Amino acid sequence: MSGLANVAAVARREYMVRVTTRSYVFGTVVLLVGVLAIAFAPVIIRAIDQSSQQRIAVHVAATDLAGDPAATLSGLLNAATDTGTPASDRKPDFVVTPVPDLAEARQAVVAGEYAAALEIGRATGGELGFTLYTNDSATGRTAGLIRQATTAIAVSDRLARLGVAPAGQAGLFAPAAFGVEWPDPAKSGPTRGTTEAIGQDMLGFGMTLLIFMMVILYGQWVAASVVEEKSSRVMEVVLNAATPFQLLTGKVLGVGALALTQYGALLLAGVAALLAQGVVAGIVLGDTGGSAPLPQGLTVELLLLFGLYGILGFLLFAVLYAAAGSLVSRQEDVNAIVMPMTVFATFGYLVGVYAAMGLLDIKAAWMVALAQVPLVSPYMMLGRVTTGEAMVWEVPVSVALLVAAIVGALWLAARIYAAGVLMYGQRPSARAIWRLVRSGT
Amino acid sequence: MALVVDGLTKDFGSVRALDGVTFSVQRGGICGFLGANGAGKTTTMRIVLGFLRPDSGSVTWDDRETREWPRRTWGYMPEERGLYLRMPVIDQLVFFGTLYGLTRSRARALAAEWLARFRIADYADRKAESLSKGNQQKVQFIATVLHDPDVILMDEPFVGLDPINAALLREAFLELRDRGKTLLFSTHQLDQAEELCDSVAIIDHGRVVTAGPTREVKRSAGHQVVRVATSVPDELVWLRSLPHVTVTHPGRDYTEVRVDAGADPQSVLRAAVARGGDVLRFEVADPSLEQIFVDRVGALDVEERTLAAPEVRP
Repeated sequence: MSGLANVAAVARREYMVRVTTRSYVFGTVVLLVGVLAIAFAPVIIRAIDQSSQQRIAVHVAATDLAGDPAATLSGLLNAATDTGTPASDRKPDFVVTPVPDLAEARQAVVAGEYAAALEIGRATGGELGFTLYTNDSATGRTAGLIRQATTAIAVSDRLARLGVAPAGQAGLFAPAAFGVEWPDPAKSGPTRGTTEAIGQDMLGFGMTLLIFMMVILYGQWVAASVVEEKSSRVMEVVLNAATPFQLLTGKVLGVGALALTQYGALLLAGVAALLAQGVVAGIVLGDTGGSAPLPQGLTVELLLLFGLYGILGFLLFAVLYAAAGSLVSRQEDVNAIVMPMTVFATFGYLVGVYAAMGLLDIKAAWMVALAQVPLVSPYMMLGRVTTGEAMVWEVPVSVALLVAAIVGALWLAARIYAAGVLMYGQRPSARAIWRLVRSGT
Repeated sequence: MALVVDGLTKDFGSVRALDGVTFSVQRGGICGFLGANGAGKTTTMRIVLGFLRPDSGSVTWDDRETREWPRRTWGYMPEERGLYLRMPVIDQLVFFGTLYGLTRSRARALAAEWLARFRIADYADRKAESLSKGNQQKVQFIATVLHDPDVILMDEPFVGLDPINAALLREAFLELRDRGKTLLFSTHQLDQAEELCDSVAIIDHGRVVTAGPTREVKRSAGHQVVRVATSVPDELVWLRSLPHVTVTHPGRDYTEVRVDAGADPQSVLRAAVARGGDVLRFEVADPSLEQIFVDRVGALDVEERTLAAPEVRP
């Protein structure tokens, strides 16, 4: 009976028993819903956006305006909120209706038929005057957009009174040439758009969060599983058949396979959702546009790094979680005994995320050094890579250190495990653990 | 070929758990390992199986350290029963079997055979937690012997079994022995041990107080037991008057007396005949294991008696 066969048998049992448990299935479904919600967020936001149409009433008291102020207002308001979709394909955000009677219009606003009523009058000096009647905030988005639009109408009116024909005005309002370039002269190519920059930061953040969740959730699971075998006393039965090392490794791999299954399902669902987004958008929004490319910066290399750091980070922590679990014999004691690992994971995660968000100086020497520490590197390196701060040597060195740490942790954990699994009802002190590690039994 | 436990010593901190434990079990033998709770039985078994290392001493099977033998050589039923409670019975038996190197299909077939033999074939697909304690214990025993180990160590295998199931287990023990398997089991039920074991080892406070073939251990006590029934009235009175005789068990059907070492049991018969009545029953026997145990170790203390009570009831 080779050791490998036993590792496989233990891993298989762990996987088969847990993959059908309610908590695993439920957790996976919740996460799937979350992933789909995020992936379809653009469509959902647009669908919500579309349904929120505002009706604006316009009462024109000034009689000598150049154009139709209602049409001008409608054009200006809807242009301001245009998100890039062709205007013909989407319903306008604002519907502007001319009304003859101001008092009636104000009454309609009170009744909620209109979001606001705008009165356009002309003062004795010749200037146009605007009054907005609304229950909404005077500094809100709608009021702000209308204010901008009225300024444009006023300017246009002043120009008309100065004798500039409406046709000539178009040239005056044409946008000036304006360019954005990289500050680094050596750098060429288009600069990052807002969504692109946010997208990349979010990727680093999201991947780090996923690794953190995997370690905390599944690490805890490994520890709980060890304790379950101890508390049900099945440990001694399997210990006669397999070595502590085989049990430990099999358990970590079995739970790891569960995590991979879940994350694989999430990844597939996410990619499928992104690819299907155009079709779904077409059905939900009734348009054909809005094809959704994969998030900017989501390269194969980044995905591989995510997988690598995720798996290595999980292995390192899971092995330690297993060793910790072997030291207690009741489920109630699991949380206390795994605390050191949880603290390390949380610390690494927070530092990694703060650094990637710019709250900590990512270029600092101590940061570079910290990012190499095996218990922390899985949470820090992805952020460094996505922000482009990682130096060429950082990834290979940190991975090598992680692998070495895993080997060391396995050795340590197997020794703790071998002695710990037969230890019942004792409160493990640091000295006792050290004795176990040194003696081996 | 024998399992030889030689001079095992083990300290846990300041507590000496084992102090030179020595005994042996011949191949194809059934050995009863007797002792109060905490006497060192479980620690000894764990050392035999290699879970623990002794501070000194050795355990060999066929002259090789037990640790060097492949794991499938050993079957172990721990004191505290251990099953995966939420796993179907057949699945966990297959799992245990594969750990010992059986293929999944072979393990499944063997498990089905054993389950049928123990009359729990219907429970194969049930989760272990839904089985009664007695049935769980039978599953536990199957997990111990599924891979056909040469040496089987069991901690209190009869605890919690009703008489019918205890009989099934006894039969299985004898069959395994007949197939050349070596069995070592601990028990509180000394009558059970007396019936099954060809050798015993009595352990107390980490020391073996006596060990060897059951008959020799019983003889080694020196004294003998006589069970006698006569038509003479006042039986107890005259029996008590005999030299070297102690009444140990005045009974309704017969009286049991202890005849000191060196005294002749036949003297009791002669005395009965001399009293002039009819001798209805006369039997000379070795003392029971329970008497040996009480002589050597002292009575189990009250607390342990209470704990052991439901176990002693067969």
